[in-house]
Amino acid sequence: MKRFVYINDDEASKELCCDNRISNTKYTLWNFFPKNLLEQFSRFMNQYFLLIACLQLWSLITPVNPASTWGPLIFIFAVSASKEAWDDYHRYLSDKKANEREVWIVKHGIKKHIQAQDIQVGNIVWLRENDEVPCDLVLLGTSDPQGVCYVETAALDGETDLKTRVIPSACVGIDLELLHKMKGVIECPIPDKDIRRFDANMRLFPPFIDNDVCSLTIKNTLLQSCYLRNTEWACGVSVYTGNQTKLGMCRGVAEPKLTAMDAMIDKLTGAIFVFQIVVVMVLGVAGNVWKDTEARKQWYVQYPEEAPWYELLVIPLRFELLCSIMIPISIKVSLDLVKGLYAKFIEWDVEMVDQETGTASYAANTAISEDLGQVEYILTDKTGTLTDNKMIFRRCCIGGIFYGNENGDALKDTQLLDAITSGSTDVIRFLTVMAICNTVIPVRSKAGDIIYKAQSQDEDALVIAAAKLHMVFVGKNANLLELMFNGEMLRYEVLEILEFTSDRKRMSVVVKDSQNGKIILLSKGADESILPSARAGQHTRTIAEAVEHYAQLGLRTLCLAWRELEEDEYLEWSVKFKEANSVLVDREWRIAEVCQLLEHDLYILGVTAIEDRLQDGVPETIETLRKAGINFWMLTGDKQNTAIQIALSCNFISPEPKGQLLLIDGKTEEDVSRSLERVLLTMRTTTSEPKDVAFVIDGWALEIALKHHRKDFVELAILSRTAICCRVTPSQKAQLVEILKSCDYRTLAIGDGGNDVRMIQQADIGVGISGREGLQAARAADYSIGRFRFLKRLILVHGRYSYNRTAFLSQYSFYKSLLICFIQIFFSFISGVSGTSLFNSVSLMAYNVFYTSVPVLVSVIDKDLSETTVMQHPQILFYCQAGRLLNPSTFAGWFGRSLFHAIVVFVITIHAYAYEKSEMEELGMVALSGCIWLQAFVVAQETNFFTVLQHLSIWGNLVGFYVLNFLFSAIPSSGMYTIMFRLCSQPSYWITMFLIVGAGMGPIFALKYYRYTYRPSKINILQQAERMGGPILTLGNIETQPRTIEKDVSPVSIRSPVYEPLLSESPNATRRSFGPGAPFEFFQSQSRLSSSSGYTRNCKDN
Amino acid sequence: MPSNTASSSSAPAGSADSSASRTKSKRPKYSKFTQQELPACKPILTPGWVILTFLVISVIFIPLGVVSLFASQDVVEIVDRYDNDCVPPPARANKVAYIQGGSDKSCNRTLVVPKKMKQPIYVYYQLENFYQNHRRYVKSRSDSQLRSVKDENQIDACKPEDDVNGRPIVPCGLIAWSLFNDTYALSKNNQPLTVNKRGIAWKSDREHKFGKNVFPKNFQEGNITGGGRLDANKSLSEQEDLIVWMRTAALPTFRKLYGKIESDLEKGDTIHVTLLNNYNTYSFDGKKKLVLSTTSWLGGKNDFLGIAYLTVGGICFFLALVFTIMYLVKPRRLGDPTYLSWNRVPGGGR
Repeated sequence: MKRFVYINDDEASKELCCDNRISNTKYTLWNFFPKNLLEQFSRFMNQYFLLIACLQLWSLITPVNPASTWGPLIFIFAVSASKEAWDDYHRYLSDKKANEREVWIVKHGIKKHIQAQDIQVGNIVWLRENDEVPCDLVLLGTSDPQGVCYVETAALDGETDLKTRVIPSACVGIDLELLHKMKGVIECPIPDKDIRRFDANMRLFPPFIDNDVCSLTIKNTLLQSCYLRNTEWACGVSVYTGNQTKLGMCRGVAEPKLTAMDAMIDKLTGAIFVFQIVVVMVLGVAGNVWKDTEARKQWYVQYPEEAPWYELLVIPLRFELLCSIMIPISIKVSLDLVKGLYAKFIEWDVEMVDQETGTASYAANTAISEDLGQVEYILTDKTGTLTDNKMIFRRCCIGGIFYGNENGDALKDTQLLDAITSGSTDVIRFLTVMAICNTVIPVRSKAGDIIYKAQSQDEDALVIAAAKLHMVFVGKNANLLELMFNGEMLRYEVLEILEFTSDRKRMSVVVKDSQNGKIILLSKGADESILPSARAGQHTRTIAEAVEHYAQLGLRTLCLAWRELEEDEYLEWSVKFKEANSVLVDREWRIAEVCQLLEHDLYILGVTAIEDRLQDGVPETIETLRKAGINFWMLTGDKQNTAIQIALSCNFISPEPKGQLLLIDGKTEEDVSRSLERVLLTMRTTTSEPKDVAFVIDGWALEIALKHHRKDFVELAILSRTAICCRVTPSQKAQLVEILKSCDYRTLAIGDGGNDVRMIQQADIGVGISGREGLQAARAADYSIGRFRFLKRLILVHGRYSYNRTAFLSQYSFYKSLLICFIQIFFSFISGVSGTSLFNSVSLMAYNVFYTSVPVLVSVIDKDLSETTVMQHPQILFYCQAGRLLNPSTFAGWFGRSLFHAIVVFVITIHAYAYEKSEMEELGMVALSGCIWLQAFVVAQETNFFTVLQHLSIWGNLVGFYVLNFLFSAIPSSGMYTIMFRLCSQPSYWITMFLIVGAGMGPIFALKYYRYTYRPSKINILQQAERMGGPILTLGNIETQPRTIEKDVSPVSIRSPVYEPLLSESPNATRRSFGPGAPFEFFQSQSRLSSSSGYTRNCKDN
Repeated sequence: MPSNTASSSSAPAGSADSSASRTKSKRPKYSKFTQQELPACKPILTPGWVILTFLVISVIFIPLGVVSLFASQDVVEIVDRYDNDCVPPPARANKVAYIQGGSDKSCNRTLVVPKKMKQPIYVYYQLENFYQNHRRYVKSRSDSQLRSVKDENQIDACKPEDDVNGRPIVPCGLIAWSLFNDTYALSKNNQPLTVNKRGIAWKSDREHKFGKNVFPKNFQEGNITGGGRLDANKSLSEQEDLIVWMRTAALPTFRKLYGKIESDLEKGDTIHVTLLNNYNTYSFDGKKKLVLSTTSWLGGKNDFLGIAYLTVGGICFFLALVFTIMYLVKPRRLGDPTYLSWNRVPGGGR
């Protein structure tokens, strides 16, 4: 499918597509009510409540006033609806603002000022500096004579650097005035959401140019929501408008994530529902039987002899209504409320503020905090997530000579400085490649300093390093690059840029040396993509060794290469390149193919090694979280060796004697399957040993494994606590998440860059690091944090507390609803199984909404253990992971408790208020007060952390109950007029209350104490220890360490045919050789826990 | 940075965007609440505290139980079941026919006072197996009609006793219709004993629930007569028997106040009761009892509270004892780290 856009031709493109009105709103004024109601009623719970409420309108069966259900139902609906309406109204406002923004366009050859929403496809839109692009444009002209302009695409992809955009070649040199009258046609694909691609062609109509087709790429476009920067003006023709822009197409409502807890609550609700149906059926049958055998004799009831056909249904339906409170209507509102607060606590947490940038954590998804406490697998990106993504050029190897090996900093290596001053050709070429083989834009700030705007941190590091080595990249003037080398100005003209793609793993530029007119190809890229294209005869061995050596140190390497091109060769190739660039189908692949034609016979200049430091606290965080029973997988696009080094230095895997790395590799299916089987065998045999077994797999092998041996791989995934997947693509990352999810593990994906977005969206919980690679990941994520180490707090503190609190709150909600419902059921047995409600309508309504919902809400600040204790004993997270606090058996406990309490309240009430006192209103109120008293004590007993708020809400609520009931009792027309005053003046009422509390709480308190002291859970022990202030704090380490060290000494590589210690293949073998004999290495690595700079120190040791 | 905008972008991205900029600008404010660091008391269940609590409960509950039990024992109560005895032996084969028949229903009973009874002595009638809490029954009334004359047509809830040939019944409904109508005339040692029937209903009911100018209308004029009749010349607020009856009981066994005797009765006094056995409880095997009772601070005779208090107090004492023994026999250091092994945590033993 194609779309043809006629430039400046309103008629031709009018019917083609919509105008530029942006609409993010979900509702309109007219459809809000039906649509919103429909949406709310798509939930089962709401349907259920509506059914109940409708049944209550039938006065024959309703036990109470219909208002007791309609009131809360309408309230809850109103709350949800107004929240939606509020959000939608804000979306509408921001849309309106964007739609009514004034823009300059050309219509019928005249420049006009119109509102952004009136832009049509084919209009020419003019933008000035710092304007926001109103729709997707194809650039036609800019203020720059070369047709270049700069845009900031932060709103689109989160990258904050400036990107260059150029006008299509066909438009070069068109006069400013003529731009108004320009006519032509653009053939472009139908709207899609790929913001990195725009494969189109443009043909201008006479008199502008001949019939030559000019290809268009994403470089020729200005996309909606970008900003024009550093350019006086630009103009372009709109190709996609309104919601059809790239941005508009990217929009999509994210699937709401359901936490494991919500699923469990739904399950329990279902169980209660079934229970309710059973109760209703039993009582319904009993009621009908009683009616026929007994009630007919009760003349005062006057049961009619003739009954309508539905007579048999009446009693069951009455019981259905009576029991409908079993499912607490308030649970959803309470849960939404507390979940919102959990998210706020995360955002408010000052300990999770990145001190450097002042970025606080942010919870975009407020509904899934409990899941944080149940994480079982963390899948982490490496660069920028574990590391700082602050690239620093450290070492290099030029022509076989290593620089920077002595002091770890090539910039201070006198040997290199000498080589520069002496003008060694290789070194100067090396520096030239460093300085200009990139897409960096130097910008001169007001103070006169040069600031580099780079898309990748590596390029930035290289340019800055080159500048420090006296090769200063001074300016970029369209295609002319200016370099200052030792006070001498060197100029290069850029002819082509062969862009970096993740497939090619290299980028090149073709430049023309303005000094001597030579055409040169400069390349840089990963070793495996550069070295094969090396000139025949060049010794790539030293280079490969250097790469290997640097990778061992955990440095990122890039190979730099160079080739002089013949004029003819370049011209010939240039034509092909142009052709490939204008292909509409598979353009990327074709370009890669053409690039390949040029990038051969390279002269390898050397290797750069860039250090990417570990973030602060990464090893400790990983250590703690692994202790908490969370499994870590590292998914990185980086090289295997680099990945393993980083993994070692951040405690991801243990060093050799204790840890064991199993490598899965191979290029063919058989290799991979053999390797996989072997690893699996080792895994199965070693799972019982206290060994850290990790497997390493690369992207290629992973693809084969997933395609052909999915089952084996899944088994491996279950067995392995640690895995390193290197050179994986974004979609493979997402696939791995998918695999773990399919095994029913709770996964958390953490990353910082655009390549992590898919994995973040796929995972149960996505965490983005609002880092240097832009905000893309942070935007897609459910939580964004400033640094990796905050993850520890996010999971252990916030996740755990949220889980505990929700577990209590949800079960308690069921408890209180069941309590009052059981009493109603018991009462029906002494009221002729006729479905009379013991409680009046007001009490029933207020019970769920006021009397019992307030105290429990304060459980959102309850803490069972202090934060420090949890951090010291992360193992305690196990209780959350395994769902120990909310599962059918704990729920059964609460169920039993409510049954017991109902019996206590009921039995005591009907006996204490027997004979002359058995007045309906009074008895109902006594039973209700009993419930309120009991629930206050239940909350108090389950609270671990009494602050003022807890006391206020628990006891205040009790007082509030009386105040409210005094009010009701003062209204003469209400059914319970004077009841509460009467009761409160009777000593027997208070005596009964104390008895209910004593009899209801005594056994439960005793049981709790017994469990707490004689069958304590780990949480209880820690609570006790924490409050007694014992020596427990260091316990975890004392217990485990000596044992593990002894084990370490056992020989390692006996089973070498089975397992393949990866490290032994590498130069690191030396290290391993003294590893088992001298445990000192191990100690050293242990001690690295505390020093975040250990990683660098480790490098120097070598 | 132009402030318009970016928020207009996509829904998910848009919201994240505005928030991202917000988080940048706004560091979270520090407060004890936001950091969840409010000063708190964190009680733990130490054996000392728990045992002490149970002891204190038992120390409070057992005396309270004793006091309640004494209070209940102090109450003198005369209960006389008459439903069976007041049917002449020949009619006992078919009591329902007897009660519905037109024969003389009067009946004489003799009660002996077992102990001195101080005034006021309450006269109750007790019904058993009578479901005043049946759903058809409780709902069958119209409070607004009882309250004011102008609402006399509000009889929707009263079915099937709502109207007679289209004229509303006041008071309507099954409750009023089935008004209890046995009467008791008491005499002590052949002297008539006055039973004060004023002030037996709740004051609030007399004043606010039953209108002073609402008079019975069309009452008991339907096809079947239920219970008692009302004096059409007395306003509802004065018909205290009706008011008492209409305070529906929550249990199938209940007592309702018939009147008060405002003089003391000595031990050994014989009381003759001449009663009119009008009310039909025979069709559903309901019992009828006449009760004379004094009261205590806890109300009538009811041993339940006292026994329950003693039981709960006893159990608490027992628990305190058991916990003490357990503590002495098998002491456990709280927070003992030896119980804290993480072996069950997979891979925790690192």
